[in-house]
Amino acid sequence: MNTAIDQNTANAILKKLDHISLEVARIGERQRQTEELIEEFTPILKEVMATATDRLDQFEKKGYFAFGREALNVADRVIEGFTADDVKQLGDAIVGILDTVRSLTHPDVLAMAGEVSQVLQHADETKPIGIMGMVRATKNDDVQRGMAMMMELLRHVGRAASHASKHKKPRAVVRQVSRLALPAAPQRVAAGKPAAAACCTPKTGPSEPATVIDGVAFAADGHLVDPNAWTRELGLNVAKLQGVDLSEAHWQVIEFARKEFLENKASPNIRRITQALGIGTKDLYALFPRAPARTVSKIAGIPKPVGCL
Amino acid sequence: MDAIAQTQRKVALICSHGGLDEVYPSLILANAARQSDIDAMIFFTFWGLDAITEAKVDHLHVNLAGNASNTMPTIIAGLPGMESLAATMMEKQMRELDLPSVREMMGILEESGADLYACELAMKMFKREKNDLLPQVKDVITAGDFYDLSVGAQIIFT
Repeated sequence: MNTAIDQNTANAILKKLDHISLEVARIGERQRQTEELIEEFTPILKEVMATATDRLDQFEKKGYFAFGREALNVADRVIEGFTADDVKQLGDAIVGILDTVRSLTHPDVLAMAGEVSQVLQHADETKPIGIMGMVRATKNDDVQRGMAMMMELLRHVGRAASHASKHKKPRAVVRQVSRLALPAAPQRVAAGKPAAAACCTPKTGPSEPATVIDGVAFAADGHLVDPNAWTRELGLNVAKLQGVDLSEAHWQVIEFARKEFLENKASPNIRRITQALGIGTKDLYALFPRAPARTVSKIAGIPKPVGCL
Repeated sequence: MDAIAQTQRKVALICSHGGLDEVYPSLILANAARQSDIDAMIFFTFWGLDAITEAKVDHLHVNLAGNASNTMPTIIAGLPGMESLAATMMEKQMRELDLPSVREMMGILEESGADLYACELAMKMFKREKNDLLPQVKDVITAGDFYDLSVGAQIIFT
């Protein structure tokens, strides 16, 4: 029994051995082939490497790499120049851009662009024309159609421009402002020198008190800060300071000016005073020789009259 | 204020155009100067003479053609009657603003103490006599006289 089993087992082993030796032979064959391949390829590879080095050298000479480096610099600058916000906006706009590109590559549009580029290529052959030439040219059907198209184009460009200006993002403004703010603006107002433009700044609020005399506040322009703080005595004192000796005729004007201001909240100018009181401009200047309306309102304790007349 | 009061300010305006829109600025500035206690004089020369000429002062026109601020096409602005129309419209607006007429302004200026002068050379050119002018005109003077009279003044050409 034991030998029989041994016989069987031996057969099986022999068979396996056979198989293994076959495999080994195949592997050996493959190894040999690879070695041959490497042997054959080595000179070719050497050749290729030499050629490649040569080529790279040529590229360097032709400036390919300098170009590449510059291209990288450009990319760098583009990245620096754009904020994450810009890129996000670009993402939002990309569909629109693609749509535009698609419509631009429409065969009709391309044909037109081709035609236009043909004309531009031969631009030096065209002769200059004057106004009459322009008028004559408008008789041509093609020119007429072209003009209509340009008009339509202009209309759309204009519409888009006005739309864009209406929806201007504040971001652009902020950038501009920051750029403007960069150089420190020199202070033009010298110390101790009064601002000459002060008379041009509109005064809307109550005037700031500049001096206080006997508990009454006066603004820098010499007018009473609070018209209600006025008394007849105060008017007399101001008139004395203004060099005006008050007569009954003076008081008539002063009382009218006060009444006018309290009723209309506006100090009367020379024209209003002369028309309302029926006195001549000359008479008013005779009563108050220096700047009549201003002097009157100073004495009357009301603000400086506004307006040009 | 005291520093200004020490030296009396003075303005000398030269009015060289006769358009309604070109005359008023001189008149308003001179009047405002007087109201601000500044001495004022106006020298009327060339077309500016129209503003002080009795026969012309009430018919001053507005320059339409060649006026960049006028939105009307020049070819229409140049049509007969358009200037009179524009002048009438402007006069109406001025009345609404209670702006005195040019003639009235001359009276106000004289009463305010502003001096009005006519240019002698322009008078000869346009063949005008002293009695063609408004009574408010103080004198007919030469360019040299103008400089003598405007000593210390700030000179404004309009």
